[in-house]
Amino acid sequence: MSAPMLGVYGVSYRYGERQVLDEVSFELEEGEIHSLFGPNGSGKSTLLKIIAGVIALDAPGSSGQIRHRGTDLLALTPLERARVVAYVGGDLRADFPVTALEAVLLGRICHSGGMFQQFSAQDRQVAREAMERCLCWGLRDRELATLSGGERQLVAVARALAQGSRLLLLDEALSRMDLNHQAQMGAVLKALASEGRAIILVSHDVNLASEWAASGLLLKNGRRLGAGPIRELLTRETIQKLYPGAELVICPHPVSGAPKIFFS
Amino acid sequence: MPNRSTARAVVLGFVAWAVVFALALQMGAIPDADLQIVTQIRLPRALLASFVGMGLAVSGAALQALFTNPLCEPYTLGVSSGAALGAVIGTTLRLDWIVSGIAGTAFVGALLFAGILYLVSLHSGRGNMILLLAGVLLGFVGSSLVALWMAFSDASGVQGAMFWLMGDLSRARLSGGVFTAGAVLSLTLLIWRRSHELDALLMGEEDAMALGIPVRTARKKLIFLTSLLVGVCVSAAGMIGFIGLVVPHFVRRFAGALHMTLLPLAALWGAVVLTAADAIGRTVGGAQELPVGVITALVGAPVFLWIMLRKREIA
Repeated sequence: MSAPMLGVYGVSYRYGERQVLDEVSFELEEGEIHSLFGPNGSGKSTLLKIIAGVIALDAPGSSGQIRHRGTDLLALTPLERARVVAYVGGDLRADFPVTALEAVLLGRICHSGGMFQQFSAQDRQVAREAMERCLCWGLRDRELATLSGGERQLVAVARALAQGSRLLLLDEALSRMDLNHQAQMGAVLKALASEGRAIILVSHDVNLASEWAASGLLLKNGRRLGAGPIRELLTRETIQKLYPGAELVICPHPVSGAPKIFFS
Repeated sequence: MPNRSTARAVVLGFVAWAVVFALALQMGAIPDADLQIVTQIRLPRALLASFVGMGLAVSGAALQALFTNPLCEPYTLGVSSGAALGAVIGTTLRLDWIVSGIAGTAFVGALLFAGILYLVSLHSGRGNMILLLAGVLLGFVGSSLVALWMAFSDASGVQGAMFWLMGDLSRARLSGGVFTAGAVLSLTLLIWRRSHELDALLMGEEDAMALGIPVRTARKKLIFLTSLLVGVCVSAAGMIGFIGLVVPHFVRRFAGALHMTLLPLAALWGAVVLTAADAIGRTVGGAQELPVGVITALVGAPVFLWIMLRKREIA
């Protein structure tokens, strides 16, 4: 069997005195949508940033391996890594008049060749297709600062698509979209997965994540509590372990059958 | 993409430059100057104004992107003060051991101040005003030290410090101007090569990393190049404020935010604006010439305020 699309092995990360992640491991195959579940401060976002190379594992108390098809992802140059992994995190903001199209074109930096190279016609074509797919081509000439939070999220996902990476890391990337955009982007994510990409979602909206993700990982205090297919993972016991203070019930979605969580 | 407006801004820029340049040769304290005054005094001066304007506009655009803060430029960040301090010390101590005369010590001063800012930026986080305040502080310290140094070392004392603190193009000579032009053009080219790094840094550090930019090394290299450029400009013409702020913001409206088109256009319009400002400074006060820094500050300060208010709106 070939090496998995993404292998995260024994990742620990310490920030100051706090052990944010403690020996977390999981594997991901292509075509999978994977979701990280856990309360605030459980290390979900940090884990994504480590995979994306935004946070380095070089501080004392930090260790682990991230492998893509067997090759060490952390040993690649940032440019090489950006061709493999695209990361959407935080808010897509600039204090400069950057237009939506310019922001998406930035996703092509990792493919631009020479030092003096302008973004090519092909780069522009890829950017356009990504924006059309993410329902934001109509926003292309608008400055980011004039877009709503949900619109900026569409642009951010489009930029990640334009990067052409096989692995997409989405941290709260759909949280501010309206229902219509969430539904459509959910379909887009599923289509992307079926084209052979792998996606990792981090979302506070457990019910949204359970709708799209087929598998998941439970994190608490930086430790792995469990992993597996969503329907086996989100049970009464595991949810109680994750959120012990809340009175919650789990019922299957009437149409999709995916586990949904409600206040009891 | 603002392609058509970019093309218009390029054409308009060249026309404006030609007009301003011709006017700068015409205008002066002596109305019907003979050919010698034009070629010996006004031509070198207009050339120097053009290339210093270019350098300041490019370094302003670069500093804004690399510190991800639209209020940055050599003057507001105090990098110019550092360069002036280096230049002043270099001149009086005769430390012209670097090929480019006083540009050597001016560069060291600029790099020192920019390096301090880099260290501050590592701890000040994104969109933070701390970096800017640190820059203002460095500017004060640098300017005060320039005046202090001049008062103790130079025969013309504090009067001579005016050249450095307010900016002055009156010492332009054709031979020195050639060096300035060559240095500004080649450094602009070297910064331009790093357009993609600047582009990504507009979005902040995390985004730039995710887009494939090795942020720390990129920032260090850009700071090095920008400090060189500021050193060249300041040692030739003293501290001229706000060109590096006003021009990039003005040009972004036509060129967009991406530096592959922004930087050349900023260079062009930097030349236009400083040549015009100097021509105005030479004539508006009659026989009494005004330092060009006075003119640029009067125009630049309100623009600074406007950008600051707009930035707050975005935040």
